[in-house]
Amino acid sequence: MEKVKQKDLILYSGLIILGLAAPYLFSAFKVQLTYLCVLIVLAMTWNLQGGEMGYNSFGNILFYGLGMYLTASVQVGMFFPLAEWTESGGEKTFVHTTAQYFQGIGVGLLVSAIIPALVAGAIGYAILGLRGHYFAICTLGLGIAAGEIAGGIEIIGAGQGFTTPPFPAEIVDVEARGKFFYFLSFFVLVLAFVFVKYIYGSRFRLILNAIRDNEDKAEAMGIQTMKYKIVGWMVSAFFCGLAGGIMGGLIGYIDSTDVAFDGREMGVFMVLMAILGGKGTLWGPIIGATLFHFFKEGLWTFILGWQYVALGVLIVVIVIYFPEGLMGWLREKYPERFGEVIDEKDRKSQVELK
Amino acid sequence: MNKIAKLFITLISAITLTIATISSSFAKVEGEYIVLGSAISLTGKYSSNGVHTQNGYNMAVDRINSMGGVKVGGKSYKFEIIYYDDESNPKRAAQLAERLIKQDGVHYMLGPYSSGLTKAIAPVTEKYKIPMVEANGASRSLFTKGYKYLFAVLSPANQYLEVAIDLAVEKNGGKPVKIAQAFEQDAFSQDVRLGILDAAKRTGSTIIIDDKLPKELNDMAATLAKVKATKPDVLVVSGHTKGALTAIRQISEMKVDVPMLAMTHCDAAKLSKQHGKKSEYALCASQWHKNLSYKDKFFGGGKKYDKDFKKEFGYAPPYQSAESSAALLVFKDAFERANSFDRDKVRDALKATDMQTFYGNIKFGPGGQNVAKPMILFQVRCKGDTCENKVVAPTKWASDKFFHPIPKWSERG
Repeated sequence: MEKVKQKDLILYSGLIILGLAAPYLFSAFKVQLTYLCVLIVLAMTWNLQGGEMGYNSFGNILFYGLGMYLTASVQVGMFFPLAEWTESGGEKTFVHTTAQYFQGIGVGLLVSAIIPALVAGAIGYAILGLRGHYFAICTLGLGIAAGEIAGGIEIIGAGQGFTTPPFPAEIVDVEARGKFFYFLSFFVLVLAFVFVKYIYGSRFRLILNAIRDNEDKAEAMGIQTMKYKIVGWMVSAFFCGLAGGIMGGLIGYIDSTDVAFDGREMGVFMVLMAILGGKGTLWGPIIGATLFHFFKEGLWTFILGWQYVALGVLIVVIVIYFPEGLMGWLREKYPERFGEVIDEKDRKSQVELK
Repeated sequence: MNKIAKLFITLISAITLTIATISSSFAKVEGEYIVLGSAISLTGKYSSNGVHTQNGYNMAVDRINSMGGVKVGGKSYKFEIIYYDDESNPKRAAQLAERLIKQDGVHYMLGPYSSGLTKAIAPVTEKYKIPMVEANGASRSLFTKGYKYLFAVLSPANQYLEVAIDLAVEKNGGKPVKIAQAFEQDAFSQDVRLGILDAAKRTGSTIIIDDKLPKELNDMAATLAKVKATKPDVLVVSGHTKGALTAIRQISEMKVDVPMLAMTHCDAAKLSKQHGKKSEYALCASQWHKNLSYKDKFFGGGKKYDKDFKKEFGYAPPYQSAESSAALLVFKDAFERANSFDRDKVRDALKATDMQTFYGNIKFGPGGQNVAKPMILFQVRCKGDTCENKVVAPTKWASDKFFHPIPKWSERG
């Protein structure tokens, strides 16, 4: 046990050092690296209820978009009238000072983590009674509805979109913005990982798995499944909100359906990444997100105009050849490496029985 | 865990190596080429206009390169453009702008298609002090942010249909009119809407229907039903290409009678071709029309541009292509005046631009918008089965008379 822990320690410190050094090693790729961190967070937290709890949600994009709008609104609203900021052609130009900018984004991110979690709690209370496909379809509607509603609210820019505060001009270093957002997202990634890892070692995960494997039985055993389902979704929402807040600041421009409640892309990607890597595993979504991001960034530009066809083919290939994801496939091939011991006697006796 | 850790580390090192090998930087001026970068919508909801934009850019690059290129410091350079597909998505566009600048080492940018995407890219180019000449982002809010490196060759969006309201009032004997309007919920169309609000206020007109249309719209029957019931004097619709096509299709299907119909993006939608006589009498705002008498030495005039473009791409150039071609003429002019590849010198030269192109006069205002060129309105008119766009306003360029009011469907053959 002790030995394994030491190995883990080497792995984690190695990854953290790599993570901290990455923006200096690959200076030109900071934005892509930031995207990668955010994608991993989304995949990992989607996996919590999609993979562990068995509730496939297409609605996590709701929390992501909510977080994005909340962070930007708080960041502006704390210092300036929000309505005038977002008003189209508002001739006044407000400028955040350096201190205001960072205070704003700090408070904004806090709000963008808490409120989506609360919203998840409230919505979850209403719809987590649905199971299987019904839940999936219901959540699919959430993101779409949110996008249309946000597109009609004047104070957050409606169809005009919302330009988030520009990075303070007093900071002369052009690299500073990229570094700031990278480290912010990396911090959230570490936070999310530590949290998810903790959950993996706790009774909470077993309960989520019990819900996934047989909810009625779990209930019969005295588990208040509703409570755990809601908490599970709230955890996802918490991190989705944070991820959205960071992305809003990084992109600099929020559009209701294309950037914030972007179910067509981000909403599908987070599910896809988790499935690609293998849902229901700790490392699966991380590997899935990393591979997906590299596939997307690397290949996209060589097949201009055909990317989505390629993506479609990729999905088909994943579903046919790796239905359990990469981790699931590896697990099936090398079960002993995943700590699954096959009892030879038991196996033989079963073969003989046949 | 041990094996997984190893696997993971191997994976990461492999990735690291890959990145390290491809991250060698590129240069903005390579040999005899000046490299420009652009994110363009080749897929997604703006794909048709994205392609118009790209064709416009390519046409101008070929023309300028074949006519001696750009002369800087006594040497002749050629233009080259690196394109990426932004998938009509602002998030992707901002990321690609970053990629063009940081990874491909592009020092000069051409704009994407649509205001929303330009809004997403402008903060990036501004941050790295990269001059961007854009031809397809007309939203007024782009020009009020104090951007220093953004230059637009087109007129701002709020001016698109203001003239149409003036025209309606004029035809109504100077009395205020009743306006019905429906706009897509995107940056550009909402700005057109603001222009109408201003015009309504100025003329004392009332807005009786003010609808918002969803993105990627293909149905506006609810709005049209209201129009049928309330009988406004003018109906204004703006929703890019799809908006124009949907409006004409459903107006003719539902036989909605309205004395005046004003729209945007009719030529990009090839309305007169796609819908023929059904689109007759529609009034359209346009940045450019081939009949205008502007001239330059690369494309000659509008008619010649039209002919050359048709020969190369097989369809008549919409204004989106024309303005995109003009963006490169502006860049060429600025490089030659700056006589340098220093970004700030080029930027200052762009700022001082004052020239005529086949597309119109170009001179940048303090916010970067083109202040030297008015919008024009044309009307679709048909002779037999062939329909054409005729310029009807402003009077200086008008080739035909504005036909008003639109006959009722019951009287149209």
